[in-house]
Amino acid sequence: MTKTIIMKKILLIIQREFLTRVRKRSFIITTLLFPLLYLALIFGTAFIGEKGQTKLKIAVLDSSGKFTKARVDSANAFDKASTLVLVNETPASLEKDFEHKGYDGFVIIPANTVGTMAPDKIEIKANRTLGTASSVQSKLNTIWNDIKYEELGIDSQKQKQLNDSKLTVQVENMQDKGSNAKIASLTGYITGFLIYFILLIYGSQVMMGVMEEKTNRIAEIMVSSVKPFQLMVGKIIGIAAVALTQFLLWIVFVFLIYNITKSGSAGNSAMAVVVGQAQEVFSSLNIPQLLFLFAFYFLGGFFFYASMYAAIGSAVNEDMREAQSLSFPITMIIIFAIFILTIAMQDPTSPIAVWGSIIPFTSPIVMMARVPYGIPGTVPYWQLFLSMGLLVGGFLFMAWFAGKIYRTGILMYGKKPTWKEMLKWAFK
Amino acid sequence: MQKTMPVLEVQNLKKYFANQKAVDDISLEISEGQIFGLLGPNGAGKTTLIRMITGIFYPDSGNIIFDGKPFDAENDITKIGYMPEERGLYKKMKIGEQAVYLAQLKGLSKRDAVARIKDWFARFEMESWWNKKVEDLSKGMQQKLQFVITVLHHPRLIILDEPFSGLDPVNSNLIKDEIYKLARNGSTIIFSTHRMEQVEEICDHIVLVNKGRKILDGTVQQVKQDFKENLFNIGFSDAFAESELNNELFDVVSASQNSMVIQKKENRSNNEILQYFLNNGASIDSFNEMLPSLSDIFIREVEGTPLARRFESN
Repeated sequence: MTKTIIMKKILLIIQREFLTRVRKRSFIITTLLFPLLYLALIFGTAFIGEKGQTKLKIAVLDSSGKFTKARVDSANAFDKASTLVLVNETPASLEKDFEHKGYDGFVIIPANTVGTMAPDKIEIKANRTLGTASSVQSKLNTIWNDIKYEELGIDSQKQKQLNDSKLTVQVENMQDKGSNAKIASLTGYITGFLIYFILLIYGSQVMMGVMEEKTNRIAEIMVSSVKPFQLMVGKIIGIAAVALTQFLLWIVFVFLIYNITKSGSAGNSAMAVVVGQAQEVFSSLNIPQLLFLFAFYFLGGFFFYASMYAAIGSAVNEDMREAQSLSFPITMIIIFAIFILTIAMQDPTSPIAVWGSIIPFTSPIVMMARVPYGIPGTVPYWQLFLSMGLLVGGFLFMAWFAGKIYRTGILMYGKKPTWKEMLKWAFK
Repeated sequence: MQKTMPVLEVQNLKKYFANQKAVDDISLEISEGQIFGLLGPNGAGKTTLIRMITGIFYPDSGNIIFDGKPFDAENDITKIGYMPEERGLYKKMKIGEQAVYLAQLKGLSKRDAVARIKDWFARFEMESWWNKKVEDLSKGMQQKLQFVITVLHHPRLIILDEPFSGLDPVNSNLIKDEIYKLARNGSTIIFSTHRMEQVEEICDHIVLVNKGRKILDGTVQQVKQDFKENLFNIGFSDAFAESELNNELFDVVSASQNSMVIQKKENRSNNEILQYFLNNGASIDSFNEMLPSLSDIFIREVEGTPLARRFESN
């Protein structure tokens, strides 16, 4: 009987916290804006990659007579980052007014280029540092290859044979088939960072929500209807639900965009590349497992940190600076977790990554960087279960501990308490 | 006054904080339908006492008996309505929605809550407020809203901390009438204040606390009788010369041409005094006993100053 009353009250609080936030204009805007930004990011980079490169126009002065117009033209067809133009001038006059004639730089092929002996050094001379010289180099090499093949009498069929025969080396993780180090590291980075943002953004929302109740003086009215702990838990769960809702919406958006892009990618090379990459990502990851663990570490980490933020919100008054100075140590720990994340991305089995993914203070972020590398290959079961167990224990303890501070704090006005005083409230 | 079973009994309640004894061994009893004045200066321990009664604080020791049973915060909390001195509402939340939410937390169903709020809003001419936000209301309007929210769930016990502060006389009367009505309908009301004139007007029974201790307990009439100092105000129709008034019957506290305040001496009767004035040729217009106001008693008890001081300075 009493239990159902308590549950009903907590549900009411969750409902209010959820609805007041979800109906806010800022929530709707950020929820819609994120997928648009996501789209812009993907297509923007593809677009910039294609169109945004600086195009170099390089004059080629050939003294060897081997860099013919036909060869230069066929080399130019490869990419548009640079254009080679054969010129017929003296080196001195070219050096003097290549810029006047619209060239970014010039190359002089020495006359002593004989047989298959490569000229000792070829310089692109320019009056500034040129960014995409690699394109020029690869073009010159294409031409040079053609010259070599001709000298050696290799016909086009043999050329193809030579080019196609290569050794490819791949690292195969025998425990987790299909795991791909590059994709795993990227996935870990993204999921870890998402959790980091949730902890900071939604954690401080909890803190400000508590501060609002305290400064509006509704706290005393509320605690004459519900226990402070119930109020705190209701608020944290309600805000967690807001964050989850936002994520679900985003996942739906991303899949919609992915599917639309897939059907529209037939005629567009940039989109086809993106879709191809996405397919590769999806096939190399265990998506249901990843989503489950993401939800687990997101919720666990959120409850763990949100409790602390609630305690701080209850201890301070309306002054944001007080809140910031008290929450600084917590923010530092979260940022430290990001530091471990970057290590774990490179080397997911290093001791700092392993322990960082087990200890509840950093595990929500760090474990997400290790999981995409594979379970149980990179993350053995004992580490995963120990980490999950500690996180559950950790947030239960933290909620209890924060609840004690919160209970005293929300009815306390006046001077900002120190951490020492807050600990006294918790353990008296 | 009829004696019914007490709604609330507080026995030897104590609550000490680190640097002060906020409530130090207070006992009191409040019967059904009473309007009970909880008086005391700022910092006397009223709020701490109320917070224990509303289940916000646990007492260090002592008992709270609610409706004949030990107070059980989880269940009994819905039978109490509490309006703290520092009013509080969610500023950004719509008024109607907020009232429904707070009523539901007190155990009302959504439908009941909406019906009752509409009823109250109509009575207080607040219907048009439903979709407004609290921050758009004036202070007085917020006060009215706060009162409605406090009593919406028909609490057995209503605790009002300074309910009239910030209200204009019209709205004060409106709230006052509602308080009387609630008491007539069987609600018990604790009225906490340091404004004595309101207490005198509204309360049946008062308790005065200071520095965490109870220093007075009784009906308003009885407390006044207990504290009377045999002061009388005599009005004269003709100017009465104040000469040779040193006598066995009374002392003069203050005097002017047409009136005089005297303090009757021990074991003297009013008749003797009247006789004295008549014998001295006074034409008496009025003769009234001056009962101390609660304000006087309050000041005297809290500051330890004698009552008569007031009249001497006149």
